Amino acid sequence: MSSLSEEVLLVVKKVRQRKQDGTLYLMAERIAWGPEGKDRFTVSHLYADIRCQKISPDGKAKIQLQLVLHTGESTTFHFSNESSALKDRDAAKELLQQLLPKFKKKANKELEEKNRMLQEDPVLFQLYKDLVVSQVISADEFWANRLGDINNADPTLSNNKQEVGISGAFLADIRPQTDGCNGLRYNLTADIIESIFRTYPAVKEKYSENVPHNLTEKDFWTRFFQSHYFHRDRINTGTQDIFSECAKQDEKGLKSMVVQGVKNPLVDLLSLEDKTLDEGYGFCKTFPSTSNSNRTVKESSNSAIIKRFNHHSAMVLAAGSRKGETPADHASETSSTDGNSRDSDFFQPPVKKVKLQEVIEYEDLQRENRPKTIALNLKKSDRYAHGPVPLQSQHYTTSQDIINSVNYIRHEMLNYKPNLTQVLSSTTASSAIAALSPGGVLMQAATQQAINQMVPTEVQGELKHLYVAAGELLRHFWSCFPVNTPFLEEKVMKMKSNLERFQMTKLCPFQEKIQRQYLSTNLTGHLEEMLQTAYRKFHVWQTRRMQYLECHSDHLL
Amino acid sequence: MKLNIEGLLVYFPYDYIYPEQYSYMLELKRTLDAKGHGVLEMPSGTGKTISLLSLIIAYQKAFPLEVTKLIYCSRTVPEIEKVVEELRKLMEFYSKQTGESNNFLALALSSRKNLCIHPEVSALRFGKEVDGKCHSLTASYIRAQRHSDPDMPVCRFYEEFDAVGRQVPLPAGVYNLDDLKEFGRRKGWCPYYLARYSILHANIVVYSYHYLLDPKIADLVSKELAKKSVVVFDEAHNIDNVCIDSMSVNITRRTLDRCHTNVDTLQNTIEKIKETDAAKLKMEYRRLVEGLKEANVARETDVYLANPVLPDEILKEAVPGNIRTAEHFVGFLKRFLEYLKSRLRVQHVVQESAPQFLKDIFDKVCIDRKPLRFCAERLQSLLRTLEIADIADFSAVTLISNFATLVSTYSQGFTIIIEPFEDRTPTIANPVLHFSCMDPSIAIKPVFQRFQSVIITSGTLSPLDIYPRILDFRPVTMASFTMTLARTCLCPLIVGRGNDQVALSSKFETREDFAVIRNYGNLLLEMSAIVPDGIVAFFTSYVYMENIVASWYEQGILENIQRNKLIFIETPDAAETSMALEKYQEACENGRGAILLSVARGKVSEGIDFVHHFGRAVIMFGVPYVYTQSRILKARLEYLRDQFQIRENDFLTFDAMRHAAQCVGRAIRGKTDYGLMIFADKRYARADKRGKLPRWIQEHINDGSLNLTVDEAVQLSKHFLRQMAQPFRQEDQLGLSLLTLEQLESEEMLQKIAKIAHQT
Repeated sequence: MSSLSEEVLLVVKKVRQRKQDGTLYLMAERIAWGPEGKDRFTVSHLYADIRCQKISPDGKAKIQLQLVLHTGESTTFHFSNESSALKDRDAAKELLQQLLPKFKKKANKELEEKNRMLQEDPVLFQLYKDLVVSQVISADEFWANRLGDINNADPTLSNNKQEVGISGAFLADIRPQTDGCNGLRYNLTADIIESIFRTYPAVKEKYSENVPHNLTEKDFWTRFFQSHYFHRDRINTGTQDIFSECAKQDEKGLKSMVVQGVKNPLVDLLSLEDKTLDEGYGFCKTFPSTSNSNRTVKESSNSAIIKRFNHHSAMVLAAGSRKGETPADHASETSSTDGNSRDSDFFQPPVKKVKLQEVIEYEDLQRENRPKTIALNLKKSDRYAHGPVPLQSQHYTTSQDIINSVNYIRHEMLNYKPNLTQVLSSTTASSAIAALSPGGVLMQAATQQAINQMVPTEVQGELKHLYVAAGELLRHFWSCFPVNTPFLEEKVMKMKSNLERFQMTKLCPFQEKIQRQYLSTNLTGHLEEMLQTAYRKFHVWQTRRMQYLECHSDHLL
Repeated sequence: MKLNIEGLLVYFPYDYIYPEQYSYMLELKRTLDAKGHGVLEMPSGTGKTISLLSLIIAYQKAFPLEVTKLIYCSRTVPEIEKVVEELRKLMEFYSKQTGESNNFLALALSSRKNLCIHPEVSALRFGKEVDGKCHSLTASYIRAQRHSDPDMPVCRFYEEFDAVGRQVPLPAGVYNLDDLKEFGRRKGWCPYYLARYSILHANIVVYSYHYLLDPKIADLVSKELAKKSVVVFDEAHNIDNVCIDSMSVNITRRTLDRCHTNVDTLQNTIEKIKETDAAKLKMEYRRLVEGLKEANVARETDVYLANPVLPDEILKEAVPGNIRTAEHFVGFLKRFLEYLKSRLRVQHVVQESAPQFLKDIFDKVCIDRKPLRFCAERLQSLLRTLEIADIADFSAVTLISNFATLVSTYSQGFTIIIEPFEDRTPTIANPVLHFSCMDPSIAIKPVFQRFQSVIITSGTLSPLDIYPRILDFRPVTMASFTMTLARTCLCPLIVGRGNDQVALSSKFETREDFAVIRNYGNLLLEMSAIVPDGIVAFFTSYVYMENIVASWYEQGILENIQRNKLIFIETPDAAETSMALEKYQEACENGRGAILLSVARGKVSEGIDFVHHFGRAVIMFGVPYVYTQSRILKARLEYLRDQFQIRENDFLTFDAMRHAAQCVGRAIRGKTDYGLMIFADKRYARADKRGKLPRWIQEHINDGSLNLTVDEAVQLSKHFLRQMAQPFRQEDQLGLSLLTLEQLESEEMLQKIAKIAHQT
């Protein structure tokens, strides 16, 4: 019945699972499979539970798709429609490929969030233990309305997450494997693709230009791996290579970075030398030939590799820090880098001065300026952590305090002037005294006050937990009213049974326990009262609903 | 703190002092007392600069008549600026302690490119362009022409400076390059000319080597500096190469072609002037007959710094008659040019000495030695007379005339090599005439002769005794200081074998060996897994690095390294490398970690420091020998052997080891810093190599770490890094490698300090 509310994205017929024919459904949040002729799903996985999908190699007779779950289990679907098996499988794969990453992040984020909440809030953790671990309600129900308010209340928390950088070796992780017949196979994951896009924006551009209008995704990546762009040591031959433009763009980017120069004057090799020798003077040059014409192919490919490494590292570094940069910041940076422009001269010295000061600083030759502190040397760190605990939790007053207060009172009494017009009448006064005397009306509660002395602490603790748990359940219960949707209807039924279960598994044993210890039974009186109220409400609602339904059926008849 | 260095009150702007700094100052004071030269080696990061400045300034204040000026030469622009900043700190400390305002003038001088504030000129990218443009706006005759034609472009900053800038000296204070620009902008004066003018009366001048060592520049800038100056060459481990470079000339066909057009222009200009203003040429002629007497008088009275291109003898004579008139001189140049062209038409390599060359030129085109010697001076005079605007255009003919003067002046210390093609491309004709200086002492001789104390100092000057020999001077002090350490923060390891026991070496025979390359790759891979943040690896040459990177790429080693760290690689292009360097630092900063592959003798190995996390390990792949097949190098080695009795191998090893030491020393920049130094070549274990490393590195190499395998090195490194990662506080150092004034004054400590300096 739940599937009714879900949106079905893709239906693939003639899919076998465990040698049984059936139909595969891809829905908004899960993937499901039901055997033919039945309207039940025997297999159903939430996307969030799926770790990855695998497909059978192209050449194979059986066309399969395997789902590997986070738990390590796996499910294999065999596409058996002869005419369109491959197409079906690819369609399923594509869709999954788009869906899985979304849920992956969500799943991880949610789990983290839940974990954090439980760790931070011991009461909640106890509640979780009481209700979920002891299977009074399911985990989903428990979290159902909790996560919502947390997310709403604290939107910044999820936003300022730290951006994850890119591994420097992500291209190395794409290990080509030979497939046995003179070909190479590259395994790409979503992570690697993302890394490529983030590091080389030019490739991303190409991707969005060409896929899927001109090329399929697979073709795109095949070309990528064949391209001169990927293998920088190869000399570019084909001009129709779509990536040759990327290479040009990179070159341009690199050049603009070089032209922009460096911010730190201490690493600027161009301005290092004060007075270069004029042309024609000097001993001999380090790099005899600079013209490209007489460089051998090997040499230029070597220098291409070197350029590539520099560029790659720079791009990886930039990809990591690109996000945080604001455009305004960037603008000021560029203006201050150009050492020659007029106004830059006013910007530059501070950077330079700071760097120079840093370099000439000998921190150990200077006396430390801050006040001298004594390092804390702990012999028993646990004593430090807990602090001294008083033997009795009483408030001590010093004798000086007492003397002071006595003096104060005495002083007050000296200045006391009765205000005789505003005193009580004698009858009222005497009745008030009677009420406040032991046995009087107002003093009856005093017997009950002693509960914290009558009941041992562990029972108190347990009672507290029971109150919290019951409160949580009742909150769920009462939140269902007014019952105006089928979902709430379902929930209120469930909550009622939950409450009953709670009474059976938690409250009754507790009652028995306190009876065994001969404690006054009305400890749980209030709890029971609350539960009874809930039951009454439920009962009223149910009877009313039955009448309503009867009415309706009468009408229908 | 205030120190007492053998009776001299020295203000030291810190609360604590390293023992070696104290020792260094002692030696320095003795050198100044003796009015002699000194060679001092002290590890980088032990506050060499501030010790030097503190002592010399204290000396200057105490004996203002003995030492009038400090000329501090460093190598790179950032280093120059660093020195000035330290100086500023010291001066602030002085005025705080003494309560009186500072009356010292200290300034940095750099090329026009770094000082120009003219909006159009300073926008140019290259130093040469800036110089040329500046010259075209400020040359004296251009400005003279402007009187008749006020529409000509003008540099208002120079005009303003010329009008009023010289009347009032620059107020006392410390001026860095930016401060000079600021000052210039405020006053509307040209900072470059202001600085050049002000160095004459400044107490402290900080500039680059070239202003003192390159005769072409020294003649313009430093000629009139006072004799009673102290000259300091910091980072001087390469000083011999700077000297040689400034005196060597290379002539290609392109140079000759450009020279040809220059000469043509000269001729045309002469024709034109003859028609309009013949008197000018006549005046020049008269001046030349008079001779170069002025310069001679000035040099004899010790006002000028001698110029090695302009030898003493020619100053006493007049310019010979056959090149005295302008036309004759142009004709003479043409003949000389034709001769050079014919020499470049060779098919085989020719090597000859200067006298041989002179004899040949006399035989073939009848050019005498004497007019050749006056060539440079004569050309300068002509260019002045003809009022040529853009001197930069005439660089080719200036080069040729300099060559003519040099080749006819020095019969020794130079060699001429004519190569018809490059060794690597024997099919492409590209003839080059190398006129190379082999004796660094020629360029530096005037400096030693003129100034009373010259201090040569660096972090790596081992072996110390070789510098006085190749620079031909007698130092009064030579000392090497070690680094006192509270914890051993450097860990030199010599990795001689791979895990498969293959001997690791970059020597020529095994250079292409795959086993060696693979093991080198393994070493880098393993290190990338255990070393935090930055690793710098140096190769012996660029070609070698390219090959290794290519084969590591093929073998998939680089991919594996990328799993641990990002990879950046030095390229021949300086701008690209700068960017790679900055990205490298960024990757070290943000915790990702990176590896920089670089080249010994390259720009990175010479000028960039890798402090703290920017370099937790340096790996030196191979021994960075210079390319020994070069004929110029061979000639130089021969010369060293014959003249200075330095064996070829000794020099080569010395040269290789100083570069290796420079590379590995890049990682340690102070006592709180730490780093691994991995020498990946079994040849480092040999006593002749190891013995040439600086003492402060050598003493930490123990016998156990002489021939490690990769695995063993990894184990030792892990241990080292774990120890170093522990917190290191000031208290840990105090009393051992860091002293308070009281600790310094104790008898026991003074005895200890006496041992730090290692006299040779």
